[in-house]
Amino acid sequence: MTHVITDACVDEKDASCMEECPVDCIYEGGSRMYIHPGECIDCGLCAEVCPNGAAVALRLLDPAAAAVHGPANDAFFTRVLPGRQAPLGSPGGASRLGPLDVDPS
Amino acid sequence: MNEPLTVDLLVVGAGPAGLFATFCAGFRGLSVAVMDALPELGGQVGAMYPEKAILDIAGMPAVTGRDLVEGLTGQAMTARPHLLLGHTAQTLAYEDGTPVVTSDQGQTVRAAAVLVTGGIGAFTPRPLPGCTGYEGRGLSYFVTDLDDLTDRDVLVVGGGDSAFDWALAAVGRARSVTLAHRRDTFRAHRATVDKVLASEAQVCTRTQVAALHCGPDGRIESADLKGQDGIRRIKAQRVVAALGFTASLGPLESWGMNLDGRHIAVDSHMATSLPRVFAAGDITAYPGKVRLIAVGFGEAATAVNNAATVLDPASDLFPGHSTERHVSTTREGDS
Ligand SMILES: Cc1cc2nc3c(=O)[nH]c(=O)nc-3n(C[C@H](O)[C@H](O)[C@H](O)COP(=O)(O)OP(=O)(O)OC[C@H]3O[C@@H](n4cnc5c(N)ncnc54)[C@H](O)[C@@H]3O)c2cc1C
Ligand code: SF4
Ligand code: SF4
Repeated sequence: MTHVITDACVDEKDASCMEECPVDCIYEGGSRMYIHPGECIDCGLCAEVCPNGAAVALRLLDPAAAAVHGPANDAFFTRVLPGRQAPLGSPGGASRLGPLDVDPS
Repeated sequence: MNEPLTVDLLVVGAGPAGLFATFCAGFRGLSVAVMDALPELGGQVGAMYPEKAILDIAGMPAVTGRDLVEGLTGQAMTARPHLLLGHTAQTLAYEDGTPVVTSDQGQTVRAAAVLVTGGIGAFTPRPLPGCTGYEGRGLSYFVTDLDDLTDRDVLVVGGGDSAFDWALAAVGRARSVTLAHRRDTFRAHRATVDKVLASEAQVCTRTQVAALHCGPDGRIESADLKGQDGIRRIKAQRVVAALGFTASLGPLESWGMNLDGRHIAVDSHMATSLPRVFAAGDITAYPGKVRLIAVGFGEAATAVNNAATVLDPASDLFPGHSTERHVSTTREGDS
């Protein structure tokens, strides 16, 4: 399930995807966006509008690419980000959390 | 119309699961009310992809979202439901063991059972950035009455199906039609886009609404559009912002049902952890759950028939085969 954002987004961040996401599950990090794997409903709207092909359905990637891009996307939520004590987990909405200026190391 | 309502079943959420549940309730002779936060029926299908072809509805090799909603609505109306559109179910209380749900508009519904078919949560239209406070003064998120556009200068904002549908509906009726979209690509159905482009409507891409201006009567009379070559002012008495929706479980989270993330945990009767409260469709969670419309239909039938046995323990769980009966659009006793 779910869509992910790949490193094709790095330093692009035009945020079209965030404007379309109906469940507000695209989070802004320091250099790129990340999709919350538990909050995404897989509607595909972000992929339709991303000008860089960075938002993609995980299940449509070939297994090797999925093995790279899935964990890289999810790390934003599962790893402890620089300057924090605990992983973000499920913040329940990107606008609730606001943009962060860090990425998972 | 804030008189309290009393029904056998209150359906919260008018997506495919809720609409089919409404039919099932009517088939069993239950009185039913349907509540949805949106002013229109159809849930995700109507709000997000009316023009897409759906290929996995049993018995229908291909059906557009719009046609599916139309069919479901026709079927649901045989139950003669009380429609409470534009109402978000806010609180749940129990009076002598009977659930009482109150909407954000102050409507109370006393229901022998409640069925939550809330999908991904209550939909709210995305606001027009920087232009809040103009609602009711010419700015709206839906067109519920096309006559309201007659002889007006109409500005539609957005690039999806709803934006293009409303722009097209306004052409020939409104004095002028302008469609403004932030990007230069459109998400809407190609054929509708072509019709609008070929019409007298002005389509402005890479354009945002910078400001709205009101006349002395406090109603919108013009809008500033910011495009690539600066800002220009156009006449507009009606502004329709069709920028999509956001959904949130919101108030349902406070009802006290056992949740599983953003979903409601149910058992094989589609019963939630609260007495007389059932759930069906995308919103439910149990091991092996698959979130598809087809699954929601099955859950809706299970939920309604199990609810019926709670309302009347003497009644059969099995509703009978529909082929044994003529379901007419009027019920016995109606004249
Ligand atoms: C782009 C896209 C394409 C899809 N394609 C397919 C497909 O091809 N096949 C398929 O099977 N599925 C598809 N789906 C999924 C399908 O749309 C959902 O499974 C289906 O809509 C779920 O129906 P539902 O009735 O459970 O909920 P929804 O359709 O989500 O409807 C829920 C309704 O409940 C209302 N609501 C929620 N909370 C409240 C409240 N507190 N008060 C009042 N109202 C409330 C909401 O406003 C909403 O209208 C797709 C989804 C998307 C977004
Ligand atoms: S639209 Fe694409 S490139 Fe832009 S922020 Fe979203 S994922 Fe990144
Ligand atoms: S697939 Fe839909 S829900 Fe998931 S991130 Fe993209 S826009 Fe949001």
